[in-house]
Amino acid sequence: MAASNAKPKLALYWAASCGGCEITVAELGMRLVEVGDLVDIVFWPCIMDFKYSDVEALADGEVDVCLFNGAIRSSENEHIAKLLRQKSKVLVAFGSCAHEGCIPGLANFYDAESILARVYDTAPSLDGTRGTRPTPSNQVPEGEIRIPVFYDRVRTLAQTVDVDYFVPGCPPVVDQVWDVFQTILTGQLPEKGAIIGADAKTNCDVCPRQKGQGGMRIKGFKRPHEVELDPQACFLTQGLICCGPATRAGCGLPCIKGNMPCRGCYGPPDGVVDQGAKLLSAIAALIDTDEPEELQHIVDTIVDPAGTFYRFSLVVSILSELKYR
Amino acid sequence: MSHKLPETFADQVRAIPGGEHLELCYSCGTCVSKCLIQQKLEPEYNPRRLLRMVMMDMRQEAFRSPTTWLCSACDLCYPACPQQIHISGVIGAIKQLALEAGYESPLETVSVDEALCSGCGICAMACPYEAPHLIEKEVEGEMDCFSEVDANKCMGCGICVAACPLGAISREGVSNEEIVKQIRIRKQKKGVPRTVVFVCDWCLRAADDVSLLESYPDNVRVIHIPCSGRIDPQMALLALRSGIDGVLVCGCAPGECHYKRGTYVSSCKINLLNRMFGQMGVGDGRVRFVQIGTQDRGRIRSEVDGMLEYLIARKGAR
Repeated sequence: MAASNAKPKLALYWAASCGGCEITVAELGMRLVEVGDLVDIVFWPCIMDFKYSDVEALADGEVDVCLFNGAIRSSENEHIAKLLRQKSKVLVAFGSCAHEGCIPGLANFYDAESILARVYDTAPSLDGTRGTRPTPSNQVPEGEIRIPVFYDRVRTLAQTVDVDYFVPGCPPVVDQVWDVFQTILTGQLPEKGAIIGADAKTNCDVCPRQKGQGGMRIKGFKRPHEVELDPQACFLTQGLICCGPATRAGCGLPCIKGNMPCRGCYGPPDGVVDQGAKLLSAIAALIDTDEPEELQHIVDTIVDPAGTFYRFSLVVSILSELKYR
Repeated sequence: MSHKLPETFADQVRAIPGGEHLELCYSCGTCVSKCLIQQKLEPEYNPRRLLRMVMMDMRQEAFRSPTTWLCSACDLCYPACPQQIHISGVIGAIKQLALEAGYESPLETVSVDEALCSGCGICAMACPYEAPHLIEKEVEGEMDCFSEVDANKCMGCGICVAACPLGAISREGVSNEEIVKQIRIRKQKKGVPRTVVFVCDWCLRAADDVSLLESYPDNVRVIHIPCSGRIDPQMALLALRSGIDGVLVCGCAPGECHYKRGTYVSSCKINLLNRMFGQMGVGDGRVRFVQIGTQDRGRIRSEVDGMLEYLIARKGAR
């Protein structure tokens, strides 16, 4: 991959993200020292002191691998995504935000104006009377000051630039990240577009909990804080929405082992086009009623259907396509 | 010395829970007049006659009768029976004896692709008849869990096909691929919105209503499904994405679903789908679910026409 006398060059970047993906890389601990021995880190603004000019100074394709986390929310995110694409041989959408939009993508229920109005005008902690809003360009005596433009919608990395591989997870779990590093360092990369650092199966495939049987149905959906959870039984049988049936395995079930239902961050497995619609179809089939009024009551116990079924995948959903086409 | 008579067929049926009320039947035939299977599928279908066969000890004839196998326990006949016999319960008892005697269900049933099945158990929970259940099996030296369908319990409604998140379950004629293929409608006649109408095989009783559906132009694609519970919201989304203007799903009225719970499942799905559309600010009434009762003759016309009018007005307003 790199010239024999040089270490491969690695870049890591965060766009619209929470920093969890960075922490997951840091969580490699002593293994990170090993990574540091094997690669040359040319850009990692969260951890080391780099400037965008350092990236601009690189030749096109000089970065061997770029792990890009975060969604594309602003003109800055987009600019750096395009820049890193240009400078990198292999661009990896690292983590759920870059892969599927993740939690930042839930902002797509709204548009930029309503988000800015909320944040700058109507949030209870603010004095909204001044009408202060971030403006991309400001004239000051010293000249023009520019800040990034806040886009109307969130995009994934692949909706912005060409992406070579995808590492799912919010965040990707550390052992999978280590495997991804190994894969990259050995140069044994799979076919372009592949999902790496995850399994082909679903979480239900590997979940040790006692699964549902005939006759077990749901009279009302509950949220984890509303109920004491049986650590052995399938969450669905307990009336909790668990995204495991339509979520790719590979995380090692940290949530489920912590007695919390799967939230779906590894995205859909192969063959599932729309994770949320499939989850909806599965969960709705479990309701237990033969009374229309009770049915409405049960449906209403799902407080935030789109945010629940598409918690991580809204940006890549058909629902999103219908809104933005 | 007490003398015990040999156990009759009727004794055996009565001994099975559900079969107790056998003798109450005085053969009025009200059940037959209510039954949609008799009307739509099998003229030979006749619960009255089946119960009589049992009482006359006609064991093999009863076991071979389509009535034994086709009853889906929709229970439309139950409230109509002047003797209050839970007829599907009696038929269920006869079916159980038939199975014990080595007979098998002639129905088209679902099958599971084990390569795709994750063993999540959703099909087992969703099935109105408890036909799927999870089994453990050794695969490449490891124990793994799969769904297995009891073909003698499966009525072929397809509720599990829609519920399976991985598309591991299918039924010939109404597999995901076969339905998605039918969703494609090319632009043809101007003025008529491209509309997909999913119609449950059981919700239309009148022959006029069934033939009416064939009279719409090609822009209105009618897709027949065994049960509205077969509908997967992904199909509605795929339809809208492909440029279809609207999707209408027709199921049975509450309490009349041929497969007991399909109409509730479908109602829940479309309800949630529309709430999600609302959250996202899309959809606005383009996916509808209607429940058509067995007495609602002519209703299908007003529902389809109403949908088309709405879609035309919506297009005009944009």
